[in-house]
Amino acid sequence: MKSTIIFNNVSKSYIKTKGKYGLLTDAIGENMFGFFKQKRRENNVVRALNNISFKLKSGDVLGIIGKNGAGKSTILKLISKITFPDKGSVYADGRIGAFIELGAGLHVELTGRENIYLYGAILGMKKKEIDSKFKEIVDFAEIHRFLDTPIKRFSTGMYSRLGFSVCAFCDTEILLVDEVLAVGDINFQKKCLQKMQSFAKSNKTIVFISHDLNAINKICTRVMLLDHGKIISEGVPSKIIDDYLKKYAVTGLG
Amino acid sequence: MAFTLREIKVRYKQTILGASWAILQPVALTLIFTIVFGVFLKVKSGTIPYPIFAYSALLPWTFFSTSITFGSLSIVNNGNLISRIYFPREAMPIASMGAALFDFLIASIIFILMMFFYHVKISENILLLAVIIPTIVVFTLGISLILSALNVIFRDIKFIVPLGLQVWLYISPVIYSLNQVPDNIRKFYIINPMAVLLQSFRDVTVAGSAPNIKELFLAIVISISTLIVGYIFFKHKEKIFADVI
Repeated sequence: MKSTIIFNNVSKSYIKTKGKYGLLTDAIGENMFGFFKQKRRENNVVRALNNISFKLKSGDVLGIIGKNGAGKSTILKLISKITFPDKGSVYADGRIGAFIELGAGLHVELTGRENIYLYGAILGMKKKEIDSKFKEIVDFAEIHRFLDTPIKRFSTGMYSRLGFSVCAFCDTEILLVDEVLAVGDINFQKKCLQKMQSFAKSNKTIVFISHDLNAINKICTRVMLLDHGKIISEGVPSKIIDDYLKKYAVTGLG
Repeated sequence: MAFTLREIKVRYKQTILGASWAILQPVALTLIFTIVFGVFLKVKSGTIPYPIFAYSALLPWTFFSTSITFGSLSIVNNGNLISRIYFPREAMPIASMGAALFDFLIASIIFILMMFFYHVKISENILLLAVIIPTIVVFTLGISLILSALNVIFRDIKFIVPLGLQVWLYISPVIYSLNQVPDNIRKFYIINPMAVLLQSFRDVTVAGSAPNIKELFLAIVISISTLIVGYIFFKHKEKIFADVI
């Protein structure tokens, strides 16, 4: 079967200080002291991903686990072309629905209804498509009563439900989900997992990041354990989750 | 398109006067300019009454300056979108311009009313607006793309833009007429496409005369080049947006 996502020796670093303030003087300084540039760069870099390679095909549900800062979200950002690798190549085939962070893409001043259309459009849906999915989205998010309320009055849970629902009904070939379960209530978490499972069954590709190991175990077909930007192990969920628990159980307690 | 709608909707949320701000901005400036430059300093506006003389240039100028002001900030202000969702990045400055275009259309109503009020005779030259307005849009977008990308890297742009626009207003024929610019300076003066475009806008609407075609042609060429350079620059820089924001 054809691969939908391919990572080929991908490395990605972030610069720690420069750019954060974006000062003109920084750029001038850097050019004037170009001599020291190399060294300064070396010290000033965080390696988010280090030589990562993997392939996914449709129907795969990849779970990524690892400590904070292991590079999990960077992988999603690379897939969705938000950011680009320093070395290696990233290939992703098909429309991508990414639910990377709570409420990204929603505008607080707009109402629930307006946001569904806006977010849908950002994700590449046509107005007609959204029209036809509108009811499902609202049903799934359970926000009927608040459709015409500006979402700045929404609770955190409602926010995230709205965001996830639009993504989930967007009918993309690839779905990227980052920690969506953290904010919803149990009922909604269940619905999300079911939705993702049915997604996978319809031959789509899912990459799922979570600290909820039970959820990972339940829906993923493969799991990848990341540490400091490197793949430590990869394989069937139960085994990798065991690895993860073993690796961090000791340091966690210490 | 969705972003443009979003900009328009969000812009005037929780303001009391709402979309009438679109009209108030150029009207207020026209009033001040009329008093200061028309009455106090007696700037020559030829046979054209000063208020409509000023407004005919302030109308396109406000479009330009609003687009640039909001456009240059658009990428940084939407940083949370840029770093989390993929979409064509140029949608952001284009949306700012779209919203400014909407303001321009609203403010045009006042312009049309003023034309009736001052009994302006409309000549067939007005059809040239079909060339002049798109050229202004093209030039504005080019500048907007460059500044919005630069602002991601150097936040200094945020401070340079308001200052730059103020200077730009004075080196464009808004308060005065292009014909008052001495010939030896005019050669350099018309390198600024806005100078030619604003004057042409005034010529074909309130003066009812033909614009200087040679100068207008130069402005069109510079505007298109600006857009091409701006687009290439923007596309080149957009890869680092999410990392730097």
